[in-house]
Amino acid sequence: MTDPLLHIQRLRTSFKIKDDYYAAVDDVSLEVNKNEIVAIVGESGCGKSALAASITGLHNKERTKMDGRISFKNKDIANASINQLNQLRGSEIGMIFQDPLTALNPLMIIGEQIEETLMLHQKMSRQERKKRTVELLKEVGIPRAEQIYYQYPHQLSGGMRQRVVIAIAIANNPSLLIADEPTTALDVTIQSQILDLIRKLKDEMHAGIILITHDLGVVAEMADRVAVMYAGQIVEIAPVIELFDNPKHPYTRSLLQSVPSAFDKQERLYVIQGVVPPLPNLPREGCRFKSRIPWIPEEVHEKEPKMHEVGPGHFVRCTCYEDFHFIGEDGGMNHGAS
Amino acid sequence: MALLKLEDLHVHFPIRSGVFKRIVGHVKAVNGVSLELKSGETYGLVGESGSGKTTTGRAVIGLNEITSGKVFYAGKNLIEKKRTKELRREIQMIFQDPYSSLNPKKRVLDIIAEPLRNFESLTKQEEQKRVQQLLSQVGLSQKSIAKYPHEFSGGQRQRIGIARAIALQPKLIIADEPVSALDVSVQAQVLNFMKDLQKELNLTYLLISHDLGIIRHMCDRIGIMYKGRLVEEATAKEIYENPQHIYTKRLISSIPDIDPKNRGKMMALREEVKRDFDEKYNQYFDENGLAYDLKAIAADHFAALPGEGQ
Amino acid sequence: MWTFTFRRVLIMIPQILLLSIVIFFLAKMMPGDALTGLIDPNIGPEAIEAQREKLGLNDPWHVQYWNWITNLFQGDLGQSFQHKLPVTEIINQRLWNTFWLSVLTLILTYLIAIPLGLISGRYNDTISDRIITGYTYIGFAAPVFIFALLMLFIFGFQLGWFPTGGSVTPGTVPGTWSFFLSKVYHMLLPALSMALITTVSTVQYLRSEIIDTKQKDFVLLARSKGVSETRIYRKHIFRNSLLPIAAFFGYEISGLIGGSIFIENIFSYPGIGQLFLSSLMQRDTSVVTALVLLFGIASILGTLISDLILSIVDPRIRMK
Repeated sequence: MTDPLLHIQRLRTSFKIKDDYYAAVDDVSLEVNKNEIVAIVGESGCGKSALAASITGLHNKERTKMDGRISFKNKDIANASINQLNQLRGSEIGMIFQDPLTALNPLMIIGEQIEETLMLHQKMSRQERKKRTVELLKEVGIPRAEQIYYQYPHQLSGGMRQRVVIAIAIANNPSLLIADEPTTALDVTIQSQILDLIRKLKDEMHAGIILITHDLGVVAEMADRVAVMYAGQIVEIAPVIELFDNPKHPYTRSLLQSVPSAFDKQERLYVIQGVVPPLPNLPREGCRFKSRIPWIPEEVHEKEPKMHEVGPGHFVRCTCYEDFHFIGEDGGMNHGAS
Repeated sequence: MALLKLEDLHVHFPIRSGVFKRIVGHVKAVNGVSLELKSGETYGLVGESGSGKTTTGRAVIGLNEITSGKVFYAGKNLIEKKRTKELRREIQMIFQDPYSSLNPKKRVLDIIAEPLRNFESLTKQEEQKRVQQLLSQVGLSQKSIAKYPHEFSGGQRQRIGIARAIALQPKLIIADEPVSALDVSVQAQVLNFMKDLQKELNLTYLLISHDLGIIRHMCDRIGIMYKGRLVEEATAKEIYENPQHIYTKRLISSIPDIDPKNRGKMMALREEVKRDFDEKYNQYFDENGLAYDLKAIAADHFAALPGEGQ
Repeated sequence: MWTFTFRRVLIMIPQILLLSIVIFFLAKMMPGDALTGLIDPNIGPEAIEAQREKLGLNDPWHVQYWNWITNLFQGDLGQSFQHKLPVTEIINQRLWNTFWLSVLTLILTYLIAIPLGLISGRYNDTISDRIITGYTYIGFAAPVFIFALLMLFIFGFQLGWFPTGGSVTPGTVPGTWSFFLSKVYHMLLPALSMALITTVSTVQYLRSEIIDTKQKDFVLLARSKGVSETRIYRKHIFRNSLLPIAAFFGYEISGLIGGSIFIENIFSYPGIGQLFLSSLMQRDTSVVTALVLLFGIASILGTLISDLILSIVDPRIRMK
């Protein structure tokens, strides 16, 4: 097998809160291949966005510590200088953000914002840049591209602005695309168009894509592989069909049970006990999900939970999945451990 | 009799322009909506941003001025009559964002007691007792009473918002995207809780949301809004399994399927529905781009299908 | 854009009208009138009454107001009893002195505020930021007149680097290069004294705007494009942070008017601030009224300028 496009090994990203550092990403290893969409799922505070920002070192350096290896095309970029990172950002690695309404500079015309990334990474004349920008706008499905070029962000709808953000991300044909909740702020019909667009990018550019989302429906539609994160760690990773057909980790199973489905009607939704603790209070020892499934006996958890291979490409953290069963919020509802 | 009935509701916002800011036109946010809520049911109002769903909800509670049309609550026309105190306490609202809809400088006691203070004259002890009772009803500890909103998680804050809304024992609650700012597991908690509360207090909900999963889970009947008008109204099952209007079909087909094995099927379906939508758009909307009036196509299923108007 | 400007200018008309009415009545309410200072104590009350009648001081208020306002439009602001000259003439001499002093003060204010605000906001919570914010706290706490006196004492009297009064060295010929230099030299210390104090609010404002803007999503997006930090500050943060400062510009002008009264008196600078105080002391009503009207119009023009600047730099306003 060829080397992965992106190989993250034992990454730990810690943020400074008051005077101490707390790991928001804690010992994460992940591979992303060319022509592959890897989804990272979890609730807010699980570390998925921190992981995405760590890859290109987008965090404020003064309040962040990073350990571990991130190799991109076989080069370590975890310890790259800001100049080296600036050469990767926007050219080899493109990023798409959650809120298209705030992601564009309100005082710059659309054309200028796309051209900036072309100017930084390619040798092009002014005319060539403009031509390429209009092409890009058309590529992401923006009608009247020549006019939109001269418009300001506030003149466009949310869906159109997200297309502009995508145009910026793909302007220099990146080989890795990181999309952080790209459709969360959009209506469902616009969402499906944007997802189509991202899928098309993968098919045409064969890029590797990291898709960060909390929406399991989006994961099911888009991903080739799925990593589920909880409290800064990956708790389960599997090919997409395997994950939905045969989820193992208690957190994955709980998440799947708590989403209201548009396709069939459940009487009650499953509620995960407790809350995700704030970063300084994250449990750092033993199984991190333990406190939210207190009816599972202590001895089935591992002291130092490791990833266990349970199928081809399917890994689960901690042994507690073997003995996990649901218990309803009022204690009576048992969904059974299938 | 219907608890809430809207008849040909219009809410138009003026567009002003020029040197003297004269009114040059109107944004017809709600453009002829009629619907009925039966006592004890949950009615879901669905649509994209800008479809007029939120404006409709806000008009019912009196936060947007009604341009024309009638709003009946328990048989009384809310527009002709001045909203009496009694009426105002019977209709309450739950807002979208639990982070910004609670005053950060007020204690939980003051937040929840605010409507009580406006409508009832209670002694300090009575008030405290009522607030404690409400807190236990929404599943928050008695200690919360002296805390401030920032000390709570998102789900707990939304419970505080709900406690405030039910403090006056309302009959109708308008919930505008009540869980869209919350994480899935917290969302599940609040939705379950809203259901329990409905049974306990015989509440009627007007639930406004863009999330079709939540709507399916919560609602008995659903109205689909597009550009200020209803394009379809039916029971939840009918809407999801037998949509008739091209917009409803488009909306339903856009929902991501939770089963990755259906991916190919869904993509083909979406492709087909989109083609249909583009081709037949002019048939389904009149020359002004408006949806036709709703017509009954089965018992409890109405759609704005083309054909001879009434 | 043009509709906006036109509309904005149109709004000024009722504003100025209202201002003139308010000033007119305030002037009427002041003890004494245009005659008081002129009266020779030896003249009998009948003669005074006759004089009052002649000057129209016994007419109903709207007739008086009408006369005043029509005269105003013809450039007649009345007569100063103190100087025995037409008010327009007195003001005209000093207006330009004050105008150039204000321009220099504004330039210095922004010359100080922009680099300090930028450094302070970009490197917040560092030593340099702490020093700059420390300075702004002192600036907030120190009254202009005490600070100006201190500056005058140190740089004017002790060190003798700057002149301690006047607006130009006597004897220089207007229009020559040395006249110009002498003017600037006389303005420098008063302008700097005022700028160093008034700039602190702009420094603080710019600092918090920059801290705010640098956490915006579009800055993160710019970083993800590979834009260097220098360029991020130049192209993305700076302009967005300056918007509110531009909105502040009009108030800055009102502040200058207040400040000029202190500064010109302390530095014996012959401007309208100094004129205002001396006229007030002497009950020279017609001069005071004219100056208050002038100050008011300057403030209204200031907000107009703010709005126009804002509409030029912010497309969201421009397009409306």
